[in-house]
Amino acid sequence: MDWKRTREPADAWHMTDDLHVEHGKGDPFAAAIRATRMSMVITDPRRPDNPIVFANDAFLRLTGYERHEVLGKNCRFLQGPKTDKAAVAQIRTAIEDNADVSVDILNYRKDGSTFWNALYISPVSNDKGEVQFFFASQLDVSDRKRSEHRITADKDRFEKAVKERTAELEAALEAQTTLLHEVDHRVKNNLQMISSLIIMQRRTIKDEATRHSLATMLERIEALSTVHRRLYQSKDVSRFDVSDFAKDLVTDLLTASGRSGIKPKLELDPIVISAEKATPVALMVNELVTNALKHAFKEGPDGTTAGRIGIKMSQPDGHFKIEVSDDGVGMAEANGDASFGMRLIKSLARQLHADIEWRDAGPGTKVVISMPNEPQQKGLSHD
Amino acid sequence: MTEPLKVLIVEDEALLAMELESLVEEAGHSVVGWATSSAEARSMIESTDADIAFVDIHLTDGPTGVDVAHYIGEKKRSMVVFMTANPKRIPDHFAGAIGVIAKPYTMNGLTSALRYLQEGVRRPPPVSARPAGFTLSPAFEAVWAPAA
Repeated sequence: MDWKRTREPADAWHMTDDLHVEHGKGDPFAAAIRATRMSMVITDPRRPDNPIVFANDAFLRLTGYERHEVLGKNCRFLQGPKTDKAAVAQIRTAIEDNADVSVDILNYRKDGSTFWNALYISPVSNDKGEVQFFFASQLDVSDRKRSEHRITADKDRFEKAVKERTAELEAALEAQTTLLHEVDHRVKNNLQMISSLIIMQRRTIKDEATRHSLATMLERIEALSTVHRRLYQSKDVSRFDVSDFAKDLVTDLLTASGRSGIKPKLELDPIVISAEKATPVALMVNELVTNALKHAFKEGPDGTTAGRIGIKMSQPDGHFKIEVSDDGVGMAEANGDASFGMRLIKSLARQLHADIEWRDAGPGTKVVISMPNEPQQKGLSHD
Repeated sequence: MTEPLKVLIVEDEALLAMELESLVEEAGHSVVGWATSSAEARSMIESTDADIAFVDIHLTDGPTGVDVAHYIGEKKRSMVVFMTANPKRIPDHFAGAIGVIAKPYTMNGLTSALRYLQEGVRRPPPVSARPAGFTLSPAFEAVWAPAA
């Protein structure tokens, strides 16, 4: 081989003669490479720094160089400041390993402008397997890169917008939760204040009938208080565990009555109702239990009262069933307050679409309320 | 007869403090002071010998009740029970408090809680059933109501 650095551009096409010699291919092949629209170069790794030994016209058009400016040079003159170092390293490694490489790389023209080069390099070996040349083709893919960039930029912009919107919604939810807690807090405080006002007023009153009315009113308010205390204890603010409430209510009413001889009998399946049903159900249960406490039991000769108040809550067939029973003197005799209590119970039952039935339980009375309720979630019954 | 409790009320609502004072006294205990802010609560815990402080979370200077509980806990002079309509604001460790009486409490609920606390403070653990609406902190749960 007698390659000379001083080889003139006009001699470049002789390269093909050399190729011809090496590969035994004819001129039509060489002519095709020269004339193709695909930019192509051939480098010689056996010479120092693997210089370009052939460049076709398409390469010169693409890069803006003259043939004499590129021949004898290593291809790295196409690189510039913004060329990705990793892509360069990838090419270098492939050349060192005599391997194929396909990489998109930012290259610079002679005038300093850039283009995206879909570069493909493959080694050309002789019969003995010795690499004699590298064959490289260049394709200007700037348009594709531009749209890729646009898509990436669009995607980034979109993701940013989604992130911003999500943050806004999260903040709104946070604000709403805070507001809910604030309102809940105020409702509870106000209920406490209403109770306090009634208790304080009651202390100043001597008349027994008025005191009794205020006590009944306090019981009703406190039933509402117990609902609200329990209402937002669960994570799901729209559900209300009515059995927990009943336990609280009955314990409270019995202790408050001071009649330790009356024992509660609680058979409470865990039953969840929607929050809007909580208040009417609570008021109804409160009326029935206080009614039984007041009217069902007679004092014994020793001045104490003995008996049993039972509450059963179950949902056997899609209907929420409440049974309030006592083993007292039978159907409660009506007085002024009881008849208001009765009206209250019946109105609340209408609101809840509940059937209500008084049964003589001999001894005592059993009130059975049945209302449609949504199916209970599985698992709750195992709590 | 178990010795009655000396109670400090830390509550910003006058009406509630007033009524709480009446209920505490009706139950045979005494109220040694009423503070409406964290600063007042701090100075009153120094100047009184309260056995127990009922501390609301929201005071006139903001949600400072938990800080008050911490302070009282460090002084080791008196025990703390939170009394709040917002039990979710109480940290998991309860700042050393016995527990919380959730508002709105019932008249009977409070009376029962007072009896339960009197037993617990004077002769722990309490023998009465834990009243509805009263929740023990995990630390006191372990001592006062160990799982059977």
